[in-house]
Amino acid sequence: MAEFKVGVISCSGEECLGGTISRLATRKVLDELKMVEPVTLCLPLYLAGGKEERNFARVYPVITVDGCHKCCAKRSTEKYSGKVSGSVDVSEIIGEENALDRKTVRNKDLTAEHTRMIDRVAGEIVKMIGNISPDAYSGKTFHGCGCNGE
Amino acid sequence: MISMDSKVKVIPCSGIGKVYGLMAREAALKTVHELCPEKSEPVCLAWIVTGDQEVKDKIEGRDCITVDGCPKMCASKNVSDAGGIVVEEIKVLDTVKEHKGEKFGSASQLDGCGEIVVSEIASKIADRINQEK
Repeated sequence: MAEFKVGVISCSGEECLGGTISRLATRKVLDELKMVEPVTLCLPLYLAGGKEERNFARVYPVITVDGCHKCCAKRSTEKYSGKVSGSVDVSEIIGEENALDRKTVRNKDLTAEHTRMIDRVAGEIVKMIGNISPDAYSGKTFHGCGCNGE
Repeated sequence: MISMDSKVKVIPCSGIGKVYGLMAREAALKTVHELCPEKSEPVCLAWIVTGDQEVKDKIEGRDCITVDGCPKMCASKNVSDAGGIVVEEIKVLDTVKEHKGEKFGSASQLDGCGEIVVSEIASKIADRINQEK
């Protein structure tokens, strides 16, 4: 199973609820998905120039999970590692008003409603992983180094 | 009431792979929402690193406290690069070291001792904010 990998990069935004939901849904997929090995890439490290993270994203398929329409994780990943295999915008699933709620919740304060949101977003991530070509999971579908010819 | 612009920006790394990233995030959120809501606010690190002008305007030349879960110090580096003035670099591991042998939970969920350490880190952040304001 180890060679079948997919990266999941969450924005984990700290300013709004959507960021918390993006993070927790990503964690849920990482903790529970068994068909392929999901690997989470630490976005700040990835953006700070983490070589392992960037190389992983160049070889294996990556799904980005963003809490709001700014889509920071998607934009940044595509800047450094080429096109992503799928992207989830949490605000499209839980509604913009919920996603942009500035009262970011801590894990200990999650309600049943938040848990339902997390489950829905996690389901969407799993669906996207299921849509990726099987060859890509093994790193066979190398989709460019992302250097843009530089 | 302190204006949003003059609030101290608290920016955790929110690293997603290990419990220390979660501790950084939880400590930052506890500070801005429970301990110092009038004097501090969070700013998304993922947004900062996009280089968008709107977020640059928000932190450039402003007092920022970063909270990092590992020695790579991604929050501190990225905030400095974006022009924020890092008045304090909080390292989660400094507080963790004071609790040798304890378990803190996982990257998904803190346990009891994890919450205790988060409270200690949040107090350190709040103390620093209160020095500023």
